[in-house]
Amino acid sequence: MAVNEVKPTRSELIELKKKIKLSESGHKLLKMKRDGLILEFFEILGKAKNVRAELDASFKEASEKIGIAKSVEGTITVKSTAFALKDAPHIQVESHNIMGVVVPKIESSSVRKPMNKRGYGVLGTSSYIDEAADSYEILVEKIILAAEIETTMKRLLDDIEKTKRRVNALEFKVIPELTEAMVFIRLRLEEMERENTFRLKRIKKS
Amino acid sequence: MELAVVGDSEFITGFRLAGIKKIFEVNDDNLESTVNGTLKDSEIGILVMHDDDINKLPEILRGTLNDSVEPTIVTLGGTGESSNLRDKIKQSVGVDLWK
Repeated sequence: MAVNEVKPTRSELIELKKKIKLSESGHKLLKMKRDGLILEFFEILGKAKNVRAELDASFKEASEKIGIAKSVEGTITVKSTAFALKDAPHIQVESHNIMGVVVPKIESSSVRKPMNKRGYGVLGTSSYIDEAADSYEILVEKIILAAEIETTMKRLLDDIEKTKRRVNALEFKVIPELTEAMVFIRLRLEEMERENTFRLKRIKKS
Repeated sequence: MELAVVGDSEFITGFRLAGIKKIFEVNDDNLESTVNGTLKDSEIGILVMHDDDINKLPEILRGTLNDSVEPTIVTLGGTGESSNLRDKIKQSVGVDLWK
């Protein structure tokens, strides 16, 4: 709000005072929200780092295991075994609220299965395939965990950025401009009052 | 909801062994269209991709994938996801806390 756009009236001054009060309370609340979100973010940051490290390690191990299985059993055998599997893990995505930020909570049906429940013949396959299947099941579990934590982090970061922008806009743009306008009206009203007194004195004199 | 995997035959075989059914074998030509298709599929909750495949996608689609929550994208191999998160942290908090 530019100062020259403001009408120097008492009602405008009252309106501005109300706006400043509202902006200040909003600023205070948003600052509290930003601090709360940053605290939540710090809590989740450590977990996210660990999960990412575990995920990378699991992927490396699983890749090695399937590589061994392919070289021992042959790619076609591994692929045909993989096609024989029956049950797919199902995931449930629920949401919960952290200071107004909706974050997902992912739960899954059991990913790890005993060897005889996998769906392929135990006698027809070697232990290398079992080991590869085992390590991939572990990897899928880690993926589900990583998906939840990393999404939560992304959402928190988005909201931190948004709240930070709002706080800064209120602190450095909205409130200073409103205050400037209020000061301008106050000075202008005082000036008008002085002019009025002077005018009355002049009238009385003449 | 289900978990989906998009990648080359090398990448996806292991996931078939873990029992995942929504598996999309892709090459460089149909990668983009497959990823777009998975983004529209409401049954997919988590999308797993290799970091190298993500890097082959156009910048805009990569941005959409990074911001997507449903499905959530998990990248494997390389340093893709951690560097994405690192950049996001730097941008949002102002400090590199992913050290």
